[in-house]
Amino acid sequence: MFPNAFEYEAPTSLDDAIRLIREHGYDAKVLAGGQSLLPMMKLRIAAPAVLIDINGIDELKGWREVDGTLRIGAMTRHAELEHARELADSFPLLSRTARWIADPLIRNRGTIGGSLAHADPGADWGAAMLAAGARIEARGPEGSRLIPVDEFFVDTFATSLNEDELVVAVHIDKPTGPVAARYMKLERKAGDFAIAALGVQVELDSNGRVAKAGIGMCACGPIPLRATKAEAALIGQPLTDETIKTVSRLVPEDADPTDDLRGSAEYKRDLLRVFASRALHEIAEELKGKVGGQ
Amino acid sequence: MSEVLKPQFTGARVTRLEDARLLRGQARYVDDFEYPGTLEVAFLRSNRAAARIQSVDVTEALAVPGVKAVWTFADCPITLPDRPFQVGQPVLARDEVRFVGEPVAAVIADSRYRAEDAVEKIRVQYEPLPAVVDSRAALADQPRRVHEHRPNRFLHKTHVTDGFNEAFQSAPHHLELTFRWNRQTGVTMETRGCLALPDPVSGRLTVYAGHQSPHGLRGMLARLLKLPEHQVRVVVPEVGGGFGIKAMFYPEYVVVAEAARRLGRPVKWIGDRMESLLADAHARDAIHEVAVAYDDEGRILAVRDHVIGDTGAYAFPGFPGAVGEANWATEMLTGPYKIPHVSIEIECVFSNKAPLGPYRGVGGPIGAQVQEAIVDAVARALGKDPVEVRRANLIGPEDFPYHTPTGKVYDPGSYGESLERALALVDYERFRKDQEQWRAQGRYVGLGLCVFVEPSAMAESEAGSIPYEAVTLRMEPSGVVTAAVGTGPTGQGHETTFAQLIADQLGIDVKDVVVLHGDTDSAPFGGGTGGSRSGTIGGGAAIRAGQALRRKLTQLAAHLLEAAEEDIRLEAGKAFVAGVPARSITIRDLARTAYTDVARLPEGMQPGLEVVARYQPPGAATYSNGTHLAVVEVDVETGFVKVLDYVVVNDCGVLVNPMIVEGQIHGGVAQGIGSALLEELRYDENGQLTTTSLMDYLLPTAEDVPRMRVEHIQTPSASEGGIKGMGEGSLIAAPGAIAAAVSDALAPFGVFVTELPIRPQQIVAWVQAAKTEAQAG
Ligand SMILES: Cc1cc2nc3c(=O)[nH]c(=O)nc-3n(C[C@H](O)[C@H](O)[C@H](O)COP(=O)(O)OP(=O)(O)OC[C@H]3O[C@@H](n4cnc5c(N)ncnc54)[C@H](O)[C@@H]3O)c2cc1C
Repeated sequence: MFPNAFEYEAPTSLDDAIRLIREHGYDAKVLAGGQSLLPMMKLRIAAPAVLIDINGIDELKGWREVDGTLRIGAMTRHAELEHARELADSFPLLSRTARWIADPLIRNRGTIGGSLAHADPGADWGAAMLAAGARIEARGPEGSRLIPVDEFFVDTFATSLNEDELVVAVHIDKPTGPVAARYMKLERKAGDFAIAALGVQVELDSNGRVAKAGIGMCACGPIPLRATKAEAALIGQPLTDETIKTVSRLVPEDADPTDDLRGSAEYKRDLLRVFASRALHEIAEELKGKVGGQ
Repeated sequence: MSEVLKPQFTGARVTRLEDARLLRGQARYVDDFEYPGTLEVAFLRSNRAAARIQSVDVTEALAVPGVKAVWTFADCPITLPDRPFQVGQPVLARDEVRFVGEPVAAVIADSRYRAEDAVEKIRVQYEPLPAVVDSRAALADQPRRVHEHRPNRFLHKTHVTDGFNEAFQSAPHHLELTFRWNRQTGVTMETRGCLALPDPVSGRLTVYAGHQSPHGLRGMLARLLKLPEHQVRVVVPEVGGGFGIKAMFYPEYVVVAEAARRLGRPVKWIGDRMESLLADAHARDAIHEVAVAYDDEGRILAVRDHVIGDTGAYAFPGFPGAVGEANWATEMLTGPYKIPHVSIEIECVFSNKAPLGPYRGVGGPIGAQVQEAIVDAVARALGKDPVEVRRANLIGPEDFPYHTPTGKVYDPGSYGESLERALALVDYERFRKDQEQWRAQGRYVGLGLCVFVEPSAMAESEAGSIPYEAVTLRMEPSGVVTAAVGTGPTGQGHETTFAQLIADQLGIDVKDVVVLHGDTDSAPFGGGTGGSRSGTIGGGAAIRAGQALRRKLTQLAAHLLEAAEEDIRLEAGKAFVAGVPARSITIRDLARTAYTDVARLPEGMQPGLEVVARYQPPGAATYSNGTHLAVVEVDVETGFVKVLDYVVVNDCGVLVNPMIVEGQIHGGVAQGIGSALLEELRYDENGQLTTTSLMDYLLPTAEDVPRMRVEHIQTPSASEGGIKGMGEGSLIAAPGAIAAAVSDALAPFGVFVTELPIRPQQIVAWVQAAKTEAQAG
C-alpha cells in the first residue's frame, strides 16, 4: 500500500491548473480531497506520474446564489454542505445527503466535485444530484460548459468530461414551490458505502400536487440512475398513500443492480421500493402544512 | 506473620498507568523505531489459491534502484515446523502456492516504496490447480488434495459418553440444527510487523515485534535461524491489539530476521491492511451439525455435534486453528447446563485458504452460540419461555465442582444468579409485554441471552503449554519497585493490574511500581498472553513475588524495630508494629538499609531486595461465567439490525481492577457485534479472498455499539488472589446473545438464526418467505 513515485504540482489558479492538465495529459491526475484517489494510488490501481493538487485554487471554493441558481464550487467539502444551514430550506438534499457520506474525517476532506468526477456508482452525490436536477459546470482550455447531470455519467468511473476538463462547479436551480427531500441509504455499519440508496426531491404546486419530482438511485447500476417512470407517475398527483404505493413499486423498474458483496440484485430492488415509500411518506408529512400557507 | 492484608489497590478503579502515553499518542510501536540504515521488506504474495510455481524471474526486480536482494525459497530455505501433520509452511512458497496471500518472494530494499516497485517487477509463472474451498468436499479430497502427500482430513476424533445412545433414543423429543460460522479474523488496529537488528559486536540479533509471547517468539527464531537462544533478544514494544492473532509465529518474521543477519543491516517489515486481512491468522469457519434430545419440561438429555472445521492451507506451529476451534467449542458445548450426555465427532480439513489460528475466545463463541440456540430451539418447540428452559437446565450452586460430560471440572460460579440479575436489569416480564405491543405496531424487537462459561488460565493455550508465569521483583534502594513479567500484554493493562497486586503486598503506592514486560533480556521466561491466563497466572505470580519480598521486608523491619515478625504491618509506605503505629520505619528506609547500610541487617540476611517467584494455579483451568443480554430491533423491510440495549453480568472471581475488566467487556461485546452482524472473510469459488480491505471486511464503529450496562458478581477461584481470567468471555457470549435476539425478534416469522454473521439480505429473504408461505397456507 505504497504509491508509485509521482511529481507534484500545486497551481493556485484555474488557468494554471488547466494548462498543467493539458501539458501532462493522461499521465496526470487532479487531486481534490484525495479520499478516492489516494487509496487507489496506495493500492496501485491508479499510478499517475503527476498529481495536480487543486486545493489551493480559491475560485473552486464556496457557493453563491445568482438569479435563482445555486453554484457550488467543486472543492466544497462534504462536511461544509452537511453543515450549511442557510441551504437547508431551499436545497434540502445537500445536507441530507452529505451526512450519509462515509465518516466525519472523510467528509472533512472529500469534495462534491471530486465525488462526481470520480463517478463511483456507489457514491451518494450522483443520486442526489439526479434528484435535485443539477448541472455540472466543466472548464477546459476552450472555456466553460454546463452538462446536465443526466448526461454527465457515462459508465462506472467514466464521465463525459473531456480529458483536459475540470469540474469547477455544480449548479442547482432554486425551487419555486414548497419543496422537501429525503436521502435514504442502507449501510451495514456507520460510514460504509451504500448497499442501495435513494435521493428523492418533490416540489408541489399551489394545489398541493406534485409539480416537480426527482428520484436518483445509488449503487443500483453502472452509474447513478434516475427512476424516470416513478417520477412521471408522481407529476400532477397529490401525495396520497395510493400514489406513494404505486410510485414506490415503479422505482426499481429503472434500476439495474447486480449481485455483489453487499447484497443481491433482488434485495437492492426491494430496498429501493421500501426507501421510496418511506421517503415519500415523510415528504408528504413534511409538506402537509406548507401548501397555500406560504 | 499475618497473611491477611487490607488491600488498598486490589479491587479499586485505578486509572491505567499506560493511558498517559497511549492517549497522548506517545506510545511507541514497532514501526516507530527508526534505526539508520534500515532496509525494508515487501512481499510478493500469491494471487492464486492453488498453483504450481513454474518459474520466478527476479531479474527486473533486482535492477530497481535501491534493491539489495530479492529472495525466493531457494534463497531462504526455511520451513516452519509442523511435526504432527507434516505440512509445515515454507517461509517463501516452495514449488506450489496454497492460498491467496502466501508469501512467494521477498524484496529487501532501502525503502518500502522501492521494495514495492520491485515487487511489481517480479514475474511468476503459475500453473493453476483446482482450489479446495468447500470443507465438505475437502473431506472427500475433492476436488483434490491440498498437500499431495496426505489426505485433506488431518484430524478425526470422537467422544461419546457412556449411555449416550440410550439417553438420546429414549428421549420424548428431538430436534436438529446445522450451524455455520463464516471466516472472521481478529483485526488489530496495529498490523503485524517486525524489525531485526544485528549487532556486529556481540553477534546478537535483536528482534522488535508486536507479539503476545516474547519468549515463544525468541525460541522459534533461535531454532529456525540456528542461533543460540541467548544470542536472540526479542523486544515487544507497545502492541496495538493482539486478540490471539499475534500469538502465532509467522513466516515473515523468519525472512526479516534472516535478512538482517545475512545483510548485516537493520531490516523492517510492517504489514499493510491488505496483507493483514490476507495472511493474519483467520478464525471460526466451522460447521456444527447438531441433534438434541429433550423432555417435556425442556430438560436437555443428550446432544450430538458433528463438527467440520476448515483450517486453511497450513497448520500454525503448535496451533492448527480448526482443531483449537472445534476442541473448545465441543469441550464447552454444554456450557452452564446440566446436559448429561454428548456425542461429539470432529473432522478437520486442509483447504486453499489462509491458515486458521486463534482469535479471542477461539471456539468459545461458536460453542456458546450453539449451546444457547439449543436451549432457545427447545423452548420454541415446546412453546415455553426461553428463560424457563434455561432455569430448568442450569447447573446450580449445589452442583460444584461440576463435572461436564466432556471431562471438564467447573469450579464454583454464579450461573443462575447472573441470569436472574441480567433479567432484572431489563425488567424481563415487562419487556415481554412491551414486545407484544411493539409487534402489533409492526416493530420487531427481540431479546437474546447467552449464559456463558469461560475456561481461563488453562495449563495449555495458544500461548503454549507453559502452565506457570514468573515475576521478578526488585525494590530499589529508594524504595520504589521494578517488576518484570513474562506476559505479553496487547492493551490489557498489565502494568496497572500487576502493580496494584504488588503494591498491596508491599504497602506502597501503586505508582511506585513499574512493571516491565516484553523484553527477553529483562523479563523472566514466561508463556506470554493468551487464553485469558495473564490475570490469574501472571497475577498469581505477582502476588507470590510480592509476598516473598514482603517476608524479607518484614524480617528486616522486625529486626530494626525490635518486634516480632508477626506483629509487623506494611501499609502506606511504612512498616510498623501492630497497635503501636508510632513504632515504625519507612519502607524507603528499609530499602536503603538493605542495600547501603548492610551492617544493620540481621545475621544471615543477604543484602538487597530482589526476588523471583513462579506461580502455577492448582487447577487445570478456572471458569469465569456470566450472562449477556441483548435487545435488538430488526427492520424487517431492510434487514437492518440495531442493538438497542445490552446488559452484562460478569463473574470473574476477585476483581483486581473493575475498570479494566469493564474495558475488556466493552471491547469483546463490540467484537461480538461485529462477529454476529458484520465481519466475514469471503472466499469465492476460486479461492480468491474478496474482502481484502476494511471497506469489505466490515468492523463495528462506535455508532454500532450501544452503551452497555455491566455488573459484577465475585465468586473467587482457588487460584492465588481468587482471580479468574476474563479476557475472552465477552466475545464468547456476545455473538450468541445477538443471534438469539435476532431470532427472538423474528419469531413471528418462524425465523431461527443458525448462520453467522447475519446479513441484512438474509433477514429480508426469510421474512418474505415466511409471508409468502403464510399467504399460500
Ligand atoms: C473509507 C471511505 C468511505 C467512503 N464512503 C463513501 C460513501 O459512503 N459515499 C460516498 O459518496 N463516498 C464515499 N467515499 C468517497 C469520498 O466521498 C470521496 O471523497 C469522493 O468520492 C471523492 O472526492 P475527493 O474530493 O476526495 O476526490 P479525489 O479522491 O481527490 O479524486 C477522485 C477522482 O476525481 C478526480 N477529480 C477530483 N476533483 C476533480 C475535479 N474538480 N475535476 C475533475 N476531476 C476531478 C481525481 O483526479 C480522481 O480521479 C468514501 C471514501 C472512503 C475512503
